[in-house]
Amino acid sequence: MPEVKSMFREVLPKQGQLCVEDTPTMVLCKPKLLPLKSVTLEKLEKMQREAQETIRQQELAKKDQEQQRMQP
Amino acid sequence: MDPLLQAWSYFRRRKFQLCSEVCSRILEETPCDQAAWSLKTRALTEMVYVDEIDVDQEGIAEMILDDNAIAQVARPGTSLKLPGTGQVGGPSPAVRPITQSGRPLTGFLRPSTQSGRPGTMEQAIRTPRTAHTARPITSASGRFVRLGTASMLTNPEGPFINLSRLNLAKYAKKPNLAKTLFEYIFHHENDVKNALDLAALATEYAQFKDWWWKVQLGKCYYRLGLYREAEKQFKSALCNQDMVDTFLYLAKVYTRLDQPITALNLFKQGLDRFPGEVNLLCGIARIQEEMNMTTATEYYKDVLKQDNTHMEALACIGSNHFYSDQPEIALRFYRRLLQMGVYNCQLFNNLGICCFYAQQYDMTLSSFERALSLAENDEETADVWYNLGHVAMGIGDVNLAYQCFKLTLANNNDYAEAYNNLAVLEMHKNNIEQARALLQTASSLAPHMYEPHYNFAALSNKVGDLQSSYIAAKKSEAAFPSHADTRQLIQQLKQHFAML
Repeated sequence: MPEVKSMFREVLPKQGQLCVEDTPTMVLCKPKLLPLKSVTLEKLEKMQREAQETIRQQELAKKDQEQQRMQP
Repeated sequence: MDPLLQAWSYFRRRKFQLCSEVCSRILEETPCDQAAWSLKTRALTEMVYVDEIDVDQEGIAEMILDDNAIAQVARPGTSLKLPGTGQVGGPSPAVRPITQSGRPLTGFLRPSTQSGRPGTMEQAIRTPRTAHTARPITSASGRFVRLGTASMLTNPEGPFINLSRLNLAKYAKKPNLAKTLFEYIFHHENDVKNALDLAALATEYAQFKDWWWKVQLGKCYYRLGLYREAEKQFKSALCNQDMVDTFLYLAKVYTRLDQPITALNLFKQGLDRFPGEVNLLCGIARIQEEMNMTTATEYYKDVLKQDNTHMEALACIGSNHFYSDQPEIALRFYRRLLQMGVYNCQLFNNLGICCFYAQQYDMTLSSFERALSLAENDEETADVWYNLGHVAMGIGDVNLAYQCFKLTLANNNDYAEAYNNLAVLEMHKNNIEQARALLQTASSLAPHMYEPHYNFAALSNKVGDLQSSYIAAKKSEAAFPSHADTRQLIQQLKQHFAML
């Protein structure tokens, strides 16, 4: 597009005072790459989840038994 | 089929529950069958076995009341507690997010890297409430005890071996049984004191010549917090026999004693004995990474030369490239991980960000979608939404970004970074009061980050509250001393104050 080029000419000041305004902006926190988990950590977490689950089930079973005892 | 053979077969196929059941049946018929007894202890151990080298969890008490440290005020570059002192060229917090202890975010999470060492008592106590995992009061009340009690609960007819009625001296004289019994007591029952007794008797029986028992003694001492005794045992074991494991355990002791340089030297000695050993190289890289040294990547590259499927090395090099402004290269490392079969939320999230910053827009959103669908808990979902917020900011869709950060907070209410970014968005809309409230929340949740402090200072300066601006700017300077904008702001404020 040669016409456009002739229409707009860039202006580069070569003399006189040059003023650059630097306005500080607010800072964003950066994007976070998530760390991958090691096998040991995953196993530990899995074991802990399972342990919690079994304990919860046992407690539920205990509660049920108590309720059944209370009813008759 | 002979039931013992069947049990063996189950054991080899890692069907430990079945193996233990078959062994129980054999033991009911012949209670004195040593082979079945030993196999059952092994099966029960394997069920809860975790590699002791990797396991390291410090409780609050160990961290704050640490009487093992040699110097309270260590010289720069000799302590793991003062990250970044003296080292030049580490990543700046302006580019790479830092953890609470002031270290750059690592690319790989191990049990010991979970939340680093907080600097003050106040921080240590606050950590469990804001971090994803609760830190135990002491390591003696940590995960292991909970796991130990849980494993006992699952057996309706009580524990398999009643430790208090066991004649340890008798078993110590039978080397074949003693080793499996020790592992059972140590890993399954988590009864370190009994394990220590057994190991002491057994090593005496072996006339102090068996390196294996010495290593086990060291492990027990380490768990009990007697690090110097543990060091002695490991060193003595190394005199009997050079083993990679022993080097790793000894280095773990030095790390706990906060002597990273000694640990590094030890790893180098180990490398003389075992040239190119992956675990030793990886150990060096880990310590260097924790001390903010840039050479860590070189060692991770050495690890990859030996073992090109090493997950930790790939992840660490990948994140290092991403934060040194080379997302294209980081993308290659993460793609390699994907090829290796890693398939989880974290990896897809990382792929998504890398694709976006490497200008491969077609893959970005689908990666994030996959990451969201693979997220296992609210914290992971929050992380993915947070990063999606950045993508939205990148394409200039402020409304989407706003919603993403809001969703982050809906999933994880303690996400300081999201509070900060929301505040910045609120400032763009000129909602100064809301931005101020968000920034205050962010800085109280994460006092180690400089962004909320700086933003708060800038905001207060704008509305003319110079005193709070100065206080916040000072906090920001403490968190990130070389931040140019903070320095400029402080200088400006000082001029203002001088004029008054």
